[in-house]
Amino acid sequence: MMSGREFFISRYQELGWKYEDVELKQAIRINSMNAEKASLLKRLESRGIKLEKIPFLEDGYWICKSEFSVGATSEYLLGLYSIQEAAAQVPATLFTELTDKTVLDACSAPGGKTVQLADLMKNTGVIIALDIEKRRLTALSNQLERCRVENTITYNLDARQASTVGVKFDRILLDVPCSGNFATDRDWFKRRTIPDVERNAKLQREILTQAAKVLKDDGEIVYSTCSLEPEENELNMDWAVKNLNVQVEEVRCHGEKARASIFGRHLDSSVENCRRIWPSRTQGFFVCKLKKVCA
Amino acid sequence: MMEPIKDFARQLNSNISLDENLTVRRQNRFFLLNKTLKPLASKDFFHAGIYLGKEKDGVFFPSFNLLAMIADKKANKVTVDEKTEWLFICGRDVFKRGIIRVIGSMKKGSYTLILNSYSECLGFGKVLSDLHEAKEGAVVKNILDIGDFLRREKSSSKTHS
Ligand SMILES: C[S@@+](CC[C@H](N)C(=O)[O-])C[C@H]1O[C@@H](n2cnc3c(N)ncnc32)[C@H](O)[C@@H]1O
Repeated sequence: MMSGREFFISRYQELGWKYEDVELKQAIRINSMNAEKASLLKRLESRGIKLEKIPFLEDGYWICKSEFSVGATSEYLLGLYSIQEAAAQVPATLFTELTDKTVLDACSAPGGKTVQLADLMKNTGVIIALDIEKRRLTALSNQLERCRVENTITYNLDARQASTVGVKFDRILLDVPCSGNFATDRDWFKRRTIPDVERNAKLQREILTQAAKVLKDDGEIVYSTCSLEPEENELNMDWAVKNLNVQVEEVRCHGEKARASIFGRHLDSSVENCRRIWPSRTQGFFVCKLKKVCA
Repeated sequence: MMEPIKDFARQLNSNISLDENLTVRRQNRFFLLNKTLKPLASKDFFHAGIYLGKEKDGVFFPSFNLLAMIADKKANKVTVDEKTEWLFICGRDVFKRGIIRVIGSMKKGSYTLILNSYSECLGFGKVLSDLHEAKEGAVVKNILDIGDFLRREKSSSKTHS
């Protein structure tokens, strides 16, 4: 059977990772457009919140100790920081220069990364943020209001129809819908099967196809999933390289280099530029950056 | 189109001016765009630029962004101490003993912004009794506070989980 705990764990082992239990740590990201880092850290410390800098992130901190919810402080409600899992903070940081750019966040709700993009853009340029689920767009609006984001337009739109917006983009974030991973879902192994994974992988390829159409020639796509399954990650990137006239760029970020040979299949060598973040203190993640191949 | 916003600001003794050309109404919600956003925001957007608030049954409900914009300029403002800040964001009224500073009018029936000691706007309320006459008890009735973000999260997870 193509499902179940043993089945998936043995796949991870084949990919070079030995299963271990995971203790996820809650993390925050300072919204530097709204807060001066040193003074915010002092304020949080005076509330008895103990933080540890996340070594691979500029603005990320792990919560080591807090007597109350970090989602209920004035500082949080005023948008001075966001609660954002550490690995989930990585994708938006892979773009080069974001100031004044036209950015598409194709699968954006509830907006953790939209706010991070706005922060990296210092509220300049424009972010067009799409999501297919209207009720999740309400959650996104709340985040935008709380964090004082000023440069974003949201649409209730399927990312596969992004071209109907009529804009070409400098940067595109594809934080695509995916199968998730066991670190954030206790019942993951019980619920997920390979046909599920393949269904998601197909949707992801359709979103990638549309993204390649609306990307400017010198633009960048960052693709990310919180899935550990190669069908949604390396195999999709291999497919993109072979079908969408894009290449996988080198990135410098947390995580290990992906493999270009998976389950006996030899992939395009540039797939090695993708990064896998296996669950440990963070959840599992997969990230990479794509650029168009110039003629 | 801007009247509901202007009328609301007036109640706080503020005469904030927003660029009419960049202010858009989408159903009952108001947004402030900028010159980059304006040509890109088509009619069917869900959210665009700075959310200013919404009108419902003739009553204007401001956003926290609008309150912060008003707080940056001349307006009625009350600065509260840390304990009162916490109580206020939990939905409680402001008591006289928690007030550190008053700017503008504190006349019964007027509206005032509530700020913390960092001058950050926590929400607004209605003055219940003239401050200098008030003895103990609540002097500003909480109308809206930033704890609303948590209440919104809770109510949406109740309806949708
Ligand atoms: C992984 S979540 C995105 C998380 C988000 N980027 C963040 O950082 O908060 C994937 C999102 O994609 C949305 N989605 C699913 N199918 C979609 C489609 N065809 N087009 C656009 N959005 C879609 C889901 O509703 C969900 O909100």
